[in-house]
Amino acid sequence: MQPTSELVGPALRARTFGSMGTVISLTVPAGAVPGAAGGEAKLDAATAAVERVFAGLDETFSLYRPDSEASRLARGELCLRDSSAGMRDRYADALTWRLRTEGAFSPERPDGVLDLSGLIKGYAIGQAGEALRSRGITDWCLNAGGDVLVTGSPVPGSGASWAAGVVDPLDRSALLAAYELGGPGTRCALATSGSAERGDHIWAAGFGARTAGSSGAEFVQVSVAAANIVTADVLATAIVAGGTAMLHRATDGWEIDVLAVRRGGELLATPGFRA
Amino acid sequence: MRTRAAVSAALASAGILIAGWQSGLHVADTGSSVASAAAGSTGSSGSSGTSGSAGASGSSGSSSSSSAGGTTGASAKAVGTYAGSVVQTRFGSVQVQITVQAGKITDVTALQLTDAERKSVQISNRAAPLLRTEVLAAQSADVQTISGATVTSDAYLNSLQAALDAANL
Repeated sequence: MQPTSELVGPALRARTFGSMGTVISLTVPAGAVPGAAGGEAKLDAATAAVERVFAGLDETFSLYRPDSEASRLARGELCLRDSSAGMRDRYADALTWRLRTEGAFSPERPDGVLDLSGLIKGYAIGQAGEALRSRGITDWCLNAGGDVLVTGSPVPGSGASWAAGVVDPLDRSALLAAYELGGPGTRCALATSGSAERGDHIWAAGFGARTAGSSGAEFVQVSVAAANIVTADVLATAIVAGGTAMLHRATDGWEIDVLAVRRGGELLATPGFRA
Repeated sequence: MRTRAAVSAALASAGILIAGWQSGLHVADTGSSVASAAAGSTGSSGSSGTSGSAGASGSSGSSSSSSAGGTTGASAKAVGTYAGSVVQTRFGSVQVQITVQAGKITDVTALQLTDAERKSVQISNRAAPLLRTEVLAAQSADVQTISGATVTSDAYLNSLQAALDAANL
């Protein structure tokens, strides 16, 4: 843990809560929250709004909750045509992404169970961002287990970007690279997927039940910066599953920046990640 | 009823024929204007037409007539090469040259495409191999948030993001 005094840069206030098996952090500039108790209350209320978005989606889509709609679908107690509109909409989103990524991203596990968790966290981040916008909060950074969405600036009115670090997959206590998110740029979302992590729901495309983490994957970690968080998240997942071919399809087809780490530690990156 | 149908069909056919004739006339017009502009080389402002490289084949005929680089053919027949104006694109400057023979464009060549080395990489935005020293470096003290493969709630406790959050609580 780093002492506060060593941190330089803009003064920020943060709140965290747990959901979807990870921790979500909301960070805003201290200036946006005046020192008075009213400002703290405003930040607490904003955090509560974000938390409600995550909790609501987790209740429906979590496969770790036996009573969720997703679990009932997985057990065959409910069929898709009788499921909620939200479930069918996200399933439709996931199928669209499967087509766009030529199967590298898939909402179906090798055992046939519908698993939308590869999409839902990004969707939740986006929805939470809408909730913050609707509350009139103009400068914020939302981080859900390593996937990031920002708006505005850490120094309100300055136009400065949020500086995001990318974890080094070979040494998780160190940063591999930085990326300027938001500010004057259009890329305000940054998502990272790894093949070494549990619970990432990545399956190497076309290899049946073999999971990407079990040696098939070319990349141990892929970070994608995009204009919206679902695109960044889905493409990062797809590139881990689909390897170099999917990486090139993604950079050809979308306005994104990518930093990919090969198994041996070698890097592949688009110009946006170059110093 | 029958006659009405026949009449309307005839009218429609006539309309199509007229439209076809007019478009043919229009093409002929364009051809002659290219020829005359090239021959006279008085050229109005040449820069209007071509937007970027893609436009080169279509409209360059009339737009590039004013260029100083053109070597107008001696004969009345429009023959020569004409350089278009330099157009700025998102990826750099683009300039094309056309060759005209008998009033027809016979060749289009690129005098200037986007800077050959680095810009062309940006066009495709391909991911290329690079060394760790070549990426934008970062210290955890310099960033406001951290992206990494999904951490579990337990792993979060020892993560860099947790350190940042703790400092801002």
